[in-house]
Amino acid sequence: MPTHDPKVLVDDVSVTFESRGRSVVALDRISLQARAGEFLCIVGPSGSGKSTLLRVLAGLHRQSAGAVRITAERPGTPLTAMVFQEHALLPWRTVRDNVAFGLENRGIGRAERDARAREMLALVGLARFAQHYPHQLSGGMKQRVGIARALANDPEVLLMDEPLAALDAQTRTIMQEELLRIWATLGKTVVYVTHSLEEALLLGDRVVLLTARPGRVSEVYPVDLGRPRGLAVRGSPAYGALLETIWARLREEVVRAMADDRGSGPETIGA
Amino acid sequence: MKATARWLAEHWIAVVSPIALLALWEWASATGLLRAAFFPRPSTIAAHLRDLTLDGTLWSHTAITLARIGASFALAAGLGVAIGLAMGLWRGLRDGLDPVFAVVYPIPSVLFLPLVSFVVPAGETALVVTSAVTSFFLIALTTTQGVRQIDRLVVEAALHYGARGRRLFTAVLLPGALPSIFTGLRLGLGFSLIVVVAVEIVSASRGLGALLWLSWQVLKVEDMYATFVVIALLGALLSYGLAAVRTRLLPWVPDVGER
Repeated sequence: MPTHDPKVLVDDVSVTFESRGRSVVALDRISLQARAGEFLCIVGPSGSGKSTLLRVLAGLHRQSAGAVRITAERPGTPLTAMVFQEHALLPWRTVRDNVAFGLENRGIGRAERDARAREMLALVGLARFAQHYPHQLSGGMKQRVGIARALANDPEVLLMDEPLAALDAQTRTIMQEELLRIWATLGKTVVYVTHSLEEALLLGDRVVLLTARPGRVSEVYPVDLGRPRGLAVRGSPAYGALLETIWARLREEVVRAMADDRGSGPETIGA
Repeated sequence: MKATARWLAEHWIAVVSPIALLALWEWASATGLLRAAFFPRPSTIAAHLRDLTLDGTLWSHTAITLARIGASFALAAGLGVAIGLAMGLWRGLRDGLDPVFAVVYPIPSVLFLPLVSFVVPAGETALVVTSAVTSFFLIALTTTQGVRQIDRLVVEAALHYGARGRRLFTAVLLPGALPSIFTGLRLGLGFSLIVVVAVEIVSASRGLGALLWLSWQVLKVEDMYATFVVIALLGALLSYGLAAVRTRLLPWVPDVGER
């Protein structure tokens, strides 16, 4: 792995939540990196802090300890842009104005941001829906708008927080292919959180497995399944073997997380 | 045409029942079953309505009442939205004002007339301010609610995409609260109408409320009913007017835009 010049560097990051006088460790000394152009997938059981890690990268949450560094190559563009799980579009803005929202906030002129929005909507296949409002779109289309909104900002790193989790199985499969196509077109660095191992193996260059709470890096698996990758990869023996290997480890964590939920609750420190 | 026929097929009872009621009333007062002195025939009321319209009486009173509603509604809406937004955004202000609102809001607004008359000039100003009281509380409360119920995830996404300060307010918080604000405005407009007419009955010599009361006192019962009809129509028109504005301004609200 070429790790000497990482695009994203997460160094010894911990996150502790205070809730009702107790502190809950969500992330415990996480270290990982992604190189430029890499598609990095993060999987783990519920409560392993996958989303928290992404929120730290997005600057939406401050880590309690450790450092995050994202290498900026193009000054003036934002470091990160996030695709949210529940799309989080502004209902009162048209699709086009949602996509252009970040540009508008940065003071970019109407003509330029409209052109950029058009380009991104064409990329996600929604050119004809620029003037629609979010409530007029299906779940899959809304998530495409969310992706276009993130891409329009031309971020150094694209963050995706279970973007397909709320979609039905068929739409999800189509969207996975779409994501592969878009990523191949733009070559962005992507940090992608998912609870689906199959999705991680289909999309990712590497899969980072987090442990049950508190989230620690359990293992990092390279996904040597070749590129370009399509749904057909799921039939290959290498895919099956890798899935088996990671699942065996993930299963332990899921079982542990379930036992924690039933038993004494999340691991806590102090009072 | 086909749509109209279908609407009629489904809602015929809504069309037929008022007509039947009017016919029954007409028949009852014609035969003396109802005392025509108190319940004149609808056709007689219609004739008076026509006469009062043609000689300009109704127009001048309606204009005065409308101006008062306009002034009091503008006052209530301006202050209500501003204070409601502030209460939605700042918790301290909300905590401070909530108990005050809870106590003052249920008091029938007409009762504020004497109190208001101590503070502002009696007469026109007092009437307008009194009529704005309940409307103001309604609009402020729904506006506060509107700000509070904005999806936190949407606000977070807006922050993530760089909306700050004024931008956050104009592009996210204000539009997010607008559907609730409109609900408050609709209720508030109704209350402005009710209280303006009520205060006109109590303390004005012109306006629809005054005309209605005067007609009653001199036993011109047909004129009283005619004024009644005008007030009812005015209320309906204002309500539909505001609904139309809402549809124009909020095309993104599902139940409105889809129609």
